Amino acid sequence: MTVGLRLDEAVWGLLHQALQHYRDNPRATDHLRHQLARLEQPLRIAIAGPWRSGKSTLLNAVMGEEVAPVDGVDGSTVFTWYEDGPQPSATAYANGQPPQELAIAKSATGMRVDLVGWRAGELRDIVVQWPTRTLRQVTLIDTPATGRDEQGRAPVMERVLRDADAVLYLTRDGRDSDLRVLETSRESAVGQAAAVHVIMVLSRVDETGGGRIDGLLTARQLARRQHRDPRVNELSVHVVPCSGLLGLAGRILSESDYAVLAALARVPRPELETHLLSADRFLRGDLPVHLDTGVRAGLLDRLGLVGIRLATTLIRTGCDSRAKLSAELIRRSGLTELRESMARLLVDRRDTLKARSALAAVEALLRAEPGRGTDELLGRVEQILVGAHEFRELRLLAALRTTRLGFDADLAAEAARLVGGDGVGLAARLGVEHDATVHRLWDAASDAQWRWRNRAEDPLLRLAQRRGAQVVVRSCEGMLAELAEGGR
Amino acid sequence: MIAGIWLDVLDEIARTCGAHGRGDLLQTVRQKRVQLLDPRLRVLVIGESQQGKSQLINAIVNAPACPVGDGRTTVLPTVVQHAEVPSVAVVQAPPPNPGRPAGAALPVTGERTPVPLDQVAAGVAGTFGRRPGGGPAYVEIGLPRALLGSGLVLVDTPGTEEAAALGAAGPAAAPAWADTVLVVSDSTRELSAGELTMLLHVARSHPNVVLVQTKTDLVPDWRAVAERNRQHLAEAGVPAPVIPVSAALRLRAAVGDDRELNAESGFPVLIGRLQRDLAGKSDRLARAAVGVIARTVVEQLAAPLRAELESQEVEEQSGPISRLHAAQREVDELRRCSTRWQNTLADEMADVLADIEYDLRDRTRQILREVDDAFDSADPLVSWDTFQEWLERSLTEAAEANHEWLVRRCDWAARRVADTFARYGGDVLPPWSMTTPPDLGDGLPELERPAVDRFTTSQKLISGMRGSYGGLLMVGLATTLAGMPMINPLSVGVGALFGGKSIRDESKQLLRRRQAVVKTAIQRYVDDFFVRVTKDRRDAVRQVQRMLRDHFTALTEELQEAIIRSFRSAKQAADTDAAVRDQRQREIRLKMTRLAGLFEQAQQLTGARSAPAPLEPRP
Repeated sequence: MTVGLRLDEAVWGLLHQALQHYRDNPRATDHLRHQLARLEQPLRIAIAGPWRSGKSTLLNAVMGEEVAPVDGVDGSTVFTWYEDGPQPSATAYANGQPPQELAIAKSATGMRVDLVGWRAGELRDIVVQWPTRTLRQVTLIDTPATGRDEQGRAPVMERVLRDADAVLYLTRDGRDSDLRVLETSRESAVGQAAAVHVIMVLSRVDETGGGRIDGLLTARQLARRQHRDPRVNELSVHVVPCSGLLGLAGRILSESDYAVLAALARVPRPELETHLLSADRFLRGDLPVHLDTGVRAGLLDRLGLVGIRLATTLIRTGCDSRAKLSAELIRRSGLTELRESMARLLVDRRDTLKARSALAAVEALLRAEPGRGTDELLGRVEQILVGAHEFRELRLLAALRTTRLGFDADLAAEAARLVGGDGVGLAARLGVEHDATVHRLWDAASDAQWRWRNRAEDPLLRLAQRRGAQVVVRSCEGMLAELAEGGR
Repeated sequence: MIAGIWLDVLDEIARTCGAHGRGDLLQTVRQKRVQLLDPRLRVLVIGESQQGKSQLINAIVNAPACPVGDGRTTVLPTVVQHAEVPSVAVVQAPPPNPGRPAGAALPVTGERTPVPLDQVAAGVAGTFGRRPGGGPAYVEIGLPRALLGSGLVLVDTPGTEEAAALGAAGPAAAPAWADTVLVVSDSTRELSAGELTMLLHVARSHPNVVLVQTKTDLVPDWRAVAERNRQHLAEAGVPAPVIPVSAALRLRAAVGDDRELNAESGFPVLIGRLQRDLAGKSDRLARAAVGVIARTVVEQLAAPLRAELESQEVEEQSGPISRLHAAQREVDELRRCSTRWQNTLADEMADVLADIEYDLRDRTRQILREVDDAFDSADPLVSWDTFQEWLERSLTEAAEANHEWLVRRCDWAARRVADTFARYGGDVLPPWSMTTPPDLGDGLPELERPAVDRFTTSQKLISGMRGSYGGLLMVGLATTLAGMPMINPLSVGVGALFGGKSIRDESKQLLRRRQAVVKTAIQRYVDDFFVRVTKDRRDAVRQVQRMLRDHFTALTEELQEAIIRSFRSAKQAADTDAAVRDQRQREIRLKMTRLAGLFEQAQQLTGARSAPAPLEPRP
């Protein structure tokens, strides 16, 4: 048991034990040292998904700048890492070659990396350093399309699971093949006891419903329906609809863009509508407002036809400044919700997710290179998985999501909230306002503890339910301890 | 007139199926015949989900026939066809019969459940009018439209990602029963790998595939996407045209009766194509369809024949021919074996003989050495009787031991020879054993005491006298000088001394002579013994050799007889088998040629217009 031992300390200890065990194996030691270093690094979030699901666009939208994709080598398997750094720079790592600095061309809204001279399949990683606030806490990884090869394996997804602490999985409609790819994350012991955190993102939602402007709302309903689907729910912690295109457009909308859109919005609606029927018409037709073809193409490129329709409608209905319009675009694109979910469900749980990655790495290493004493270490991994309260919370959350436990909906929601399903901050767990006083928090926490302790001891409940309630009680006690420490 | 020709070919195909005893294929061909004679054009719309399949159908018929929505709306295949008044019904086939493979044929009869017009969405989503546990169901929508009235039937299907899942929704959605297949992919991206695979799969079994690229209104670069899609199709070898359309524009144009917008939507091209297909169904389409079905049928019929040919080639390595080869090998082996055992026998027997002789020689030498030792000291006169007894016993023992050794060696040699017959079974030793004859020692001649000189008393006296005389004289003469008489006590004493010595010397000499005589006699005797026993042994060995030879020769002959017999029968079987196989191969070749002819005939129908689609699945 890890009673009295914090999770990060336990994992740190385990890594050192493993280092000791593999001291004669330079490759394994390197790997373990790498894992040790990784514990201190920002959370790694991979953006994965099938082909043309909008991964790079979403990454740009999250960063608020046009930095992705670094492409040019089509169909390659290169992972692009976006890290915080003092200076913009890009470094290419190829198999069996020294790292090489890449040329960067800066533009008004981001940058482009020059990839001339590399052949497909040569590069393994490109690390882009980019000074931005978003990257302080997370490292984003842009990945190639996930897909299965002939043997039914998903090599990209396997690497994502190895390298990333959490995953944003993009899909257009959450179809079966996507779920099957995600199911590969459940194979190891660590994967079963504490699965990797996946936020499923319904991407390119601006195209939902053939381009109606209420498509975004429909997408939100779809996401909610998917979130309720047990099969999806089991695999992902949240389902968020997001249009990377609109989000990015909102974040980099310029005054000149706004001026053009405002001019368009002044055209009477029925007349404008005929011009916005198709992209062709907008690009080539005689608009009542004089616009350069280049400007039209740029606008289409940034916003898409749906975006232009939405933006003009928004301007007409009250978004009368660039700031307002861009805020509304970002809100409607779902980007706000996505960023909030990322912060709440991933970044706040950084330590647990990091520990999970380290455990998974140690387990994979132990299984790949068995020898004397590996069984003992595997036992230790399992011990941490079973004993650490953080993982018990995660397992309870997973169980609550699949309604296996049989709590009714309200109770399940409360339990999920208390064990950190909505975020691990005290206020988020206790379901009170952000700026609540310590007193109020204390009251809420002790009340919850009292109620759940009763449930934990209620002989009428099923054993699994009582065990779940015990985990909730332990979480409440943790909160009370935290409050007591802070209050002193 | 033209219809007659392809119909003839189709009937010929049906007859061939019958002749090959393939009822299943025959069924398919008959169904196809019915379908081709039907003047209506059945258009199947397939593609991944959320590509706008239902909307495409709505835009073609210019009416919201199929429900459109986000998420999964179409669950049951929907057949849109002409009707005087709008009508909707769910048609469900009876539950699949375990005896017959489900989905093999279009359900002719089915349970029809009328659906109210405002429940179409529920019907298509499979939540209305369908009994659980029933067979595959589909929705039938009747619409009073001129385009449908001319004979167009549109089939909407649920979205599938994999080619294998096509037709899983029931036979109504199977490409086999469609005259034209529209594969739908939207313009927001190029064809995905999955879609390309699906196109390849469909194009292989279907002559008339069109890729419809929807939602061109949404993206400005749909032309580039269409161009790349054409490239992809060309690279994959799928002979399908790409028709970009926009359902939104078409529906909008219908509302405002805007001809220009309608033209922009791309639908006139698609509808023109469908109408051309409809008009050419009984001619061009049917011929192409017959070409494809001929290929399918010929492939299916030829596959087992080809497999049989191949397996026959493999069988040649195993069947009666191989038994013949085995028998041949057996004969050779026996021949080798017979040489081997003869050599072994000769060698072994020579060895036995040499060994036995040496053994006997060794034993007799030993005896002689002992004899020599004994008579170096003993007096034959005294110990002759004891000695004679000992000698006879020793010789008899030597002869017995030697004989025993011979028996053992012969037995061992027989086993060695038998070992060469190990592969023919264990029991090949001759039923024989050598016994020790009881009268081994009897054949020896009596050892006679050699004539030896005795030292008699008179001889002793004379020789004593002769010895003492010299001594007496010698000492007597000397003492006379001292004045003593010639015969005095001293001279008499010396005389007696000399006499005694000469008697002793004489007696010793005689003893040595006796000993030498006895030794020589015994040597001769033992030599005689050796020659005689050796002769016996040689005879015995030769006898054994002869007996073994006779035995093994008989055995070999017996084996040879059996092997030759099996060889003959194997040869006979192989000959018969070869004849039968040749016959069968000729038959198969003939059938294959006929099939090839049929295929050729079917291909001529389509003429040079359509290049033959690849026969083999692409990697």
